[in-house]
Amino acid sequence: MIGSIPLSDVLLASAALFSIGIAGALLRRNAIQIFLSIELMMNAANLALIGYGAALGTAEGQIIVFFVIAIAAAEAAVGLAIFVALFRHTETIDVNKITLLKW
Amino acid sequence: MERLLFDAVLAAVVLFAGLMVVLKHPVHSVLSLVVAFFALATGYVMLGAPFVGALQVIVYAGAILVLFLFVLMLLNIARPPADRGGRPVQAFLGSVGAVVFAAMLLGALRSSGAALPAAAAVPPDPASLGEPASLARVLFADYLLHFEAISVLLLAALVGAFVLARREPRT
Repeated sequence: MIGSIPLSDVLLASAALFSIGIAGALLRRNAIQIFLSIELMMNAANLALIGYGAALGTAEGQIIVFFVIAIAAAEAAVGLAIFVALFRHTETIDVNKITLLKW
Repeated sequence: MERLLFDAVLAAVVLFAGLMVVLKHPVHSVLSLVVAFFALATGYVMLGAPFVGALQVIVYAGAILVLFLFVLMLLNIARPPADRGGRPVQAFLGSVGAVVFAAMLLGALRSSGAALPAAAAVPPDPASLGEPASLARVLFADYLLHFEAISVLLLAALVGAFVLARREPRT
């Protein structure tokens, strides 16, 4: 346990955040909002890593989170560039209307 | 007392994350997620990871989400047209999938009871674990190769983003 904080609280919040991210990615139709939901899921995983790292007393949890944040930055840059290119071609970022790869 | 405060912070994170999903306008979603990430950074500090908390504010709330806002304003997407009732089956299956996933996650948590794997034999001083100096010692001693790989990845992402977002030359 971390101070007086039980690990189960951290894991419960992490599970809730990940589920919210799943729901957002499945239900939203705006590509940007789907992308935001994916970022939220990464943060849920980060929270679990920090919680376990603190409970075990190792620095590895925080190191992994450091790498996840760096990869998230790279992913956000490339993903948003794809959206900009897509918007130039199709004038929309509604994933229901983007059917370039469908047939 | 500490636990109560921590739970309040986590409740705020979950609340604003839920708001992010519910809000229709993408700009409102991004702003709601900024608040959630700030609260999450507070939680990291309370868990003894002040450096990661600072990274969360600087990189996530500061850089990534501002990039989202920048792209939204660049594309100048007005309020998206309400496309209600277009895909009822998709919406239904999506909500069922999300609920089933949440139930599975909760079930896994209950059955494992947040069991800890074998802890480190001699846990180092937990208070100084998350400080930049001790974190950097681990990062640059044991994970130097990974660190360099990340720098190459960031360079590749930089080039990739530039190539993808470049205006096509008119030929």
